[in-house]
Amino acid sequence: MAGPLTDTATAGGATAPPALPPAVRALGRAARLTAKRLLLLLVLLAAVFAAVSLLPGDAANATSERGESAADLAARRAALGLDRPLPERFWDWMTGLPAGDLGTTAHGQPVTSVLSGPFPNTLLLGGLALAASILGALALGSWSALRPGGRADRTIAVLATTAFALPEFVLSVGLLLVLSLWTGWLPAVTLTGPDGAPASWDMIVLPALALAIPQIGWNTRIVRGALADQAALPHVRAAVLDGLPRHRILTHHMLPGALPAIAVATATSAGMLLGGAVVVETLFNYPGIGAVLAGAIADRDTPLVAGVVAATGAAISTLLLLADLVRDRVLGAAR
Amino acid sequence: MTTAPRPRRALLYVVPALLLVLVALTGPLFAPHPIDAPVTAPYEVPSGDAALGGDQLGRDVLSRLLHGGAPLIATALAVAVLVTGIATLLGILCALRPRLGRWVEQTADVAILLPAVLGIMLIALAWPAGGRLPVAAAATVLGIPYAVRVVAAAAAPIAATGYIEAATAGGERLWYLMAREVLPNLRATLLALFGLRFVEGVYVVSVAAFLQLGPQPPEADWALMIRENAAGIMLNPWAVAAPCLAIGLLAVSVNLAAEAITPDRPTTETRL
Repeated sequence: MAGPLTDTATAGGATAPPALPPAVRALGRAARLTAKRLLLLLVLLAAVFAAVSLLPGDAANATSERGESAADLAARRAALGLDRPLPERFWDWMTGLPAGDLGTTAHGQPVTSVLSGPFPNTLLLGGLALAASILGALALGSWSALRPGGRADRTIAVLATTAFALPEFVLSVGLLLVLSLWTGWLPAVTLTGPDGAPASWDMIVLPALALAIPQIGWNTRIVRGALADQAALPHVRAAVLDGLPRHRILTHHMLPGALPAIAVATATSAGMLLGGAVVVETLFNYPGIGAVLAGAIADRDTPLVAGVVAATGAAISTLLLLADLVRDRVLGAAR
Repeated sequence: MTTAPRPRRALLYVVPALLLVLVALTGPLFAPHPIDAPVTAPYEVPSGDAALGGDQLGRDVLSRLLHGGAPLIATALAVAVLVTGIATLLGILCALRPRLGRWVEQTADVAILLPAVLGIMLIALAWPAGGRLPVAAAATVLGIPYAVRVVAAAAAPIAATGYIEAATAGGERLWYLMAREVLPNLRATLLALFGLRFVEGVYVVSVAAFLQLGPQPPEADWALMIRENAAGIMLNPWAVAAPCLAIGLLAVSVNLAAEAITPDRPTTETRL
């Protein structure tokens, strides 16, 4: 539990020359944080690319038809560029990235065009679930922080622990049975409209709920923990002794300090949400990257898998960077 | 903060979790029917002979339910043991050798960018003949960076204490410091970590099975049962709901148990 709360980037700016104006220093720190997140993303992409390439079997094998000769296979391997050395393939792929070129799939289509339809749908689903989980966690976390040790606090703690233990597909089936099959309130499967997006808004509710509930549980614990840390600080004690109203203490004295931890938790949630989306999309037949990914891995389609990992990795990196900037701002203000 | 004394409250949560694991592991002994032969019509509703009805091939859901927990739990246990063991070693090492700690911190920063499900898919499908092994291997590898962080965070204050300094100055070797000076103080943290890793193992292994990585039909596996019978959820809801409840209860009870034995945060809150 202590993981996301560990402080890694507090040193920023401490070494900068004092002559520079604060705005420039803040900009410099932001640039350095951005560079760090980019570098970590590159390391991940290299590791994924190497792992997929070094493991046995390749795209030419996986997409081959029955009775294809060894010569045909070699020809397809050459056509897909699989006979070239690994570093060369990786370099080609990386240099195409800034131009928005993610390479070509094992079936010969550009990766970007295969992903351009489903990925925004997944981002919409994940974004809705993320927003719901932040709002839910802030509400529940604040509510229990206002009553430390009380019955509500303990109940929320148990409920949060319960919620984040539940795998998304178990929760999906439960929600499906209760909200759709028994009561008929919401549609059980997602129908895709002519534009490739879900046909109506109510089809996104069940999958978003199934994704959001475990994350509400996880984030409630983080928010509650961060607020507890704040409540132990002297300025909060002073505010209480000054007789300020409880809600004002919460919003003006505790939440600002808890913001960095909450921001990191949000970014961590995004990763879990995107992973869970693959499963939930399969169950609800939602037109996202889940189906694309299942097919891509069965075909050993390295560029497509790497494309999906790059896209999700970039999305998570962006959120982590935002969390870094929030922390930098809060800690900077404290300095 | 609690009404019941702490050890008793912890026991209240730990006992159900252990009982549930025990029932799941001994389940096959009580199965009334074979798991691979039809005894009812497909998706038959529950009756006297089949208490939970039939699945998509008319096999007894109750028997498959009783058989389907042991492999899942065994795999998750193996993952939890490995991750906790390796993380304990590396985490304590990180606390005693801060330079290694920074390196592990960055590995965890990279690992966080790869959702576990994607990682499992990558490894398991590149190693298709392995059955459950690739899933377990992937779950172990992907679980370690985060677990190391948790152990290192718990071990850091201990590593900074005077008695460790004294032992170091006294010329004690690194392994002695790790095993005899730091480790005994981490018991509660490690026990809780083990519980949480088990829950994570159940999550990852069952999600993989649901995505048809790992156990293959006609094996009885809770997650696979949910996937296979989802199409007949209207005809016999129990074929899906029963394995769902089983996974849900297992994960929730172990998670609550792990939570109950986690050491309290050392903060004293000001009452608002």
